[in-house]
Amino acid sequence: MVETIDLEKGLQAFRARLGEADAAHLNACVHCGLCAQSCHYYRMDPQLENVPARKLDLVAQVFRRHFTVLGRLGLQGAALDDAMAKAWLDAVYGRCSLCGRCSLNCTVGINLPRVFKAARAALTAMGLAPADLQATVDNSLRHGNNMAITREDWVETVDWLQDELRAETGDPLAEMPMDRHGAKILFTVNPREPKFFPLSLQASAKVFWAAGEDWTLASEGWDLTNYGLFNCNDKEAGTITQSLVDAMERLGCETLVIGECGHGFASARWEGPEWLQAAYPFKVRSFLEVMDEYLEQGRIRVDPGMNTKAVTLHDPCNLVRHGGVTEPQRRILAKTVSCFREMTPNRAENFCCGGGGGQLAMGAYKERRMRSGGMKAQQIRDSGAKVVVAPCHNCIDQLSELNKEYKLNVQIKTVAEMVADALVTEPPTGEP
Amino acid sequence: MNPALPAGLWCGLLLGAQLLRARALGRRPLFAPAAGDPAAGVRYAFTGAMLPWAKESVRLNPGSYAAGIAYHLGIAAAFALVFVPSRALAALALLGALAGCSLLAKRIVMPHLRGLSNADDFVSNALATAFAGIAAAGPATSRILPWACAALLVYIPLGKIRHCAFFFLSRYHLGAFFGRRGTFPPAAQERLHG
Repeated sequence: MVETIDLEKGLQAFRARLGEADAAHLNACVHCGLCAQSCHYYRMDPQLENVPARKLDLVAQVFRRHFTVLGRLGLQGAALDDAMAKAWLDAVYGRCSLCGRCSLNCTVGINLPRVFKAARAALTAMGLAPADLQATVDNSLRHGNNMAITREDWVETVDWLQDELRAETGDPLAEMPMDRHGAKILFTVNPREPKFFPLSLQASAKVFWAAGEDWTLASEGWDLTNYGLFNCNDKEAGTITQSLVDAMERLGCETLVIGECGHGFASARWEGPEWLQAAYPFKVRSFLEVMDEYLEQGRIRVDPGMNTKAVTLHDPCNLVRHGGVTEPQRRILAKTVSCFREMTPNRAENFCCGGGGGQLAMGAYKERRMRSGGMKAQQIRDSGAKVVVAPCHNCIDQLSELNKEYKLNVQIKTVAEMVADALVTEPPTGEP
Repeated sequence: MNPALPAGLWCGLLLGAQLLRARALGRRPLFAPAAGDPAAGVRYAFTGAMLPWAKESVRLNPGSYAAGIAYHLGIAAAFALVFVPSRALAALALLGALAGCSLLAKRIVMPHLRGLSNADDFVSNALATAFAGIAAAGPATSRILPWACAALLVYIPLGKIRHCAFFFLSRYHLGAFFGRRGTFPPAAQERLHG
């Protein structure tokens, strides 16, 4: 590896990311160390390398050496060399899920994930992004979805789920429309749903059916995930975003609805327009906001007596802290379950499950991921809940692994699954 | 001439140049529609977000938070004492010096903080603490106080004490970011800690 690293390329990518805010953040740390306990990596493994300020310092050292007068004179900072690149890799890919909890707890107000993303961009430009993470991005670029599901398999899966939906609802006209031109909503999903969690997709469809929504899926441009958010290659991220934009334009839909996925929402809602350097000509909403509206408007009715087990809610970092979607899921659960218990802490102060920042796609750091997830496991245990609702499929994967590893003995569900289970529907009147 | 004056000029010019340099890196235009009010986020970042109960890091370390507040107030008092003798300010400066000593001790004793520290951390603390202590000991130290002040002012832009300027820029950007995303300020009903 040492011989092949193009350090200059890395510095260029790093420089391209730097703005006024980054310079402020890189000049402001006082090494007070109070950020340590805000990090789930440090909480579960209290070693120096897991202190957010330590990770920041590695990036700040390079910033000072290469981008300040004193640094260029050799008086401050450290050069980006092979050893530093390895240290960065370990710090910003291997010990950080970009959850941003440290930012809220920083005494100075440093947006650490923003700086770490600049470092990740540099490492990716040098070809050092973890291979399995990069493979996920490459899958999206080559196949239109990160699991390389073929168009044929996707369409067949939806057909099959539509049959299941009709059987479940007893409504022979219940639909999971594909490529319906002019539909009000284009609903996008995480490829994990057709691949591993079809019932989750079916639950979403059932909610749309109950609401009588004018919606559609797309045969192309249906994957809401964007691991470009994690490898921080803006060009690749923009290309992936463009496929959603193309699907919206092709189908002439009004609103892009992002299924339950934290990073997918942050990518499409917040980062996509920045990657494309253009505002979307359509609205982007989380499916949580849509379901909340259905309940508020009385378009769907639910019976909380259908969900009687104690339920707690996990707050995905990209959806809540970085996405601003905090209350819709709570309003929904307040109406659909009979026993709801908040985790402590919750909302913007939540702990990352450990699977954020692309960690689930980076096999080399699995042990750290599982250890750092111990914070979330403890929160779940303390809540006493039997069902953990997580409006994010990455989180669901991680929580499922934590469930086994920490013997939590809980069910992990999406919000849509809870709503679907509680739906009160009229007897079907349609004809086949 | 009071040596603090040219040192202050040096400090101001260099900090100003550093801030201008940061500003020259620019701000990217944003295209995603805001979900919240960036200005409200900035206001919160400089007010509510800094209160002890707003941060877990402070809730878990109330002593360090209190010491930090006392330290900064003491240093501010020491600057005032260079120009205006006052018993109340001297008491505040003494408190600041003691707080500085306690934070230095914490840095030496706590493993992760010690590991995080470099020479700049110790020099910065030593200069600021000594300055506050010398100011508190006036008038016995009135002759050396301007020199202690000058030493601190000369060092500020060279080390981490430059955060006295970048703190504001950093918090501004953090507040604007989370304000835009609708995370800051947290609505009253959102503040729930179980």
